[in-house]
Amino acid sequence: MAARTTVPFGPQHPVLPEPIQLKITYEDEKVVEVVPAIGYGHRGIEKACELNEYTKNIYLCERICGICSYIHSVSVVEVTEKLWPVELPPRVKYLRTIWAEMSRTHSHLLWLGLLADAFGFESMFLQFWRIRERVLDLLEMTTGQRVIQSVNVVGGVRRDISPEQKKTCIETLNTVRKESEALIKVLTKDYTVKSRTIGKGVLTKEQALQLGCAGPTLRGSGVREDARLTKYDAYGELNYEPVVEEAGDSYARALVRARELFQAIDLQLEALAKLPEGEIAVRVRGNPPANEDVMRTEAPRGELFYYAKGNGTRNLERLKVRTPTFANIPSLLVMLPGCELADVPVIVLSIDPCISCTER
Amino acid sequence: MPWMLPTILKNFFGGPATRLYPAEVREPFEHARGQVSFNEDKCTLCGTCVRRCPAEALSQDKEKNELVFYPARCIICEVCADICPRKAIDLIYKWRLPFYTKPVEVYKPRGKESGKAEKEAAATREPALNN
Repeated sequence: MAARTTVPFGPQHPVLPEPIQLKITYEDEKVVEVVPAIGYGHRGIEKACELNEYTKNIYLCERICGICSYIHSVSVVEVTEKLWPVELPPRVKYLRTIWAEMSRTHSHLLWLGLLADAFGFESMFLQFWRIRERVLDLLEMTTGQRVIQSVNVVGGVRRDISPEQKKTCIETLNTVRKESEALIKVLTKDYTVKSRTIGKGVLTKEQALQLGCAGPTLRGSGVREDARLTKYDAYGELNYEPVVEEAGDSYARALVRARELFQAIDLQLEALAKLPEGEIAVRVRGNPPANEDVMRTEAPRGELFYYAKGNGTRNLERLKVRTPTFANIPSLLVMLPGCELADVPVIVLSIDPCISCTER
Repeated sequence: MPWMLPTILKNFFGGPATRLYPAEVREPFEHARGQVSFNEDKCTLCGTCVRRCPAEALSQDKEKNELVFYPARCIICEVCADICPRKAIDLIYKWRLPFYTKPVEVYKPRGKESGKAEKEAAATREPALNN
């Protein structure tokens, strides 16, 4: 029997921008056991949300994650609005959809770059990030800030997209699509990329369902499941169909994200074309009533779940967040055993781990 | 590698993708959130912004007639500019330059003394958003 060695992967590792530790036991070069340890980035945001006024929660929840900050703010605003409930003007719903898809575009471009970086394709990594800059510029132009947008308020949004901005958005999105297509071709056809991802970290459909995975990890295993199918915001009026791949390996998950990137651009263009006229905010009076509700939204990494309970005062009694990475970490315990030492970074990255979200 | 070739050639002949930063600066967008500015003539020290600031970047002292702003804490969320009943707070699109020591800005509001400005503002006041 070969000797067993336990090597800690993380909490500081070049492939991980955030701290998570995986205690990996190897037998020669093969992984036999994985024990994840989380808790390095806990900030107590849920408790802070109970102590804050409900209007201040938006700015706190936006800071749960730096990449999917917009979808966190949409979720916290909409779960609070559901307590009254507030009837939103159609323009608000469309604007929130456009920005949510814009943040998905930049998140997926970031992840595709990180994937290239994980298997050592440095030039592709920077090419993806160069395209991402254009999307960040669009966010800055329309919302005022690049990363933390702070554009949602309870009852509406703060900024509008003017006709000139709409024109720039359409032009830039078409450029982003053209440039991404050239790079995605490398991802789908290059021998090096395929040899590093195909057949690595296989997660079957049954395992994915049993472990309760979410988002592209689940859809990469052939499950048609997406929170956008609940038709929140303007998704019910847009031509939307989840992207599903059957293989369940790292390559399938990369393809799901690559195809979702183009789908997000299509959704933005469609929403911009259909953007209805009208108010961008309605006035909401009083404090959140004593009521409770949940909100499911689709963050770039998977389904994001918010639960809020009001008690008639300015503070919420409880705000609970369940993030997609928390659902996806158990899948690593199935994916990693049996793989080689050198494939660990790519497989860990293939679930798009966002640890600051997970620990809050 | 062959699939990367068009991108490589494009980069080879396309010139740099970045700017020569300190020499060449991109202008911020028209409605970008750079920093907050206060108008002492309009402010009446009502304290709405102090209560609603999510980052606790503002404090007030009514006895000394002072509004204190801590720029290092400010997250430029625009709440104060939205809710100010006298429209005394504005956002400037130019961002604040880096600093070595945390600055503290002290303002002496004069809005209450000039009652005229107050009346004018009250006449044109719009209901603030619930944020």
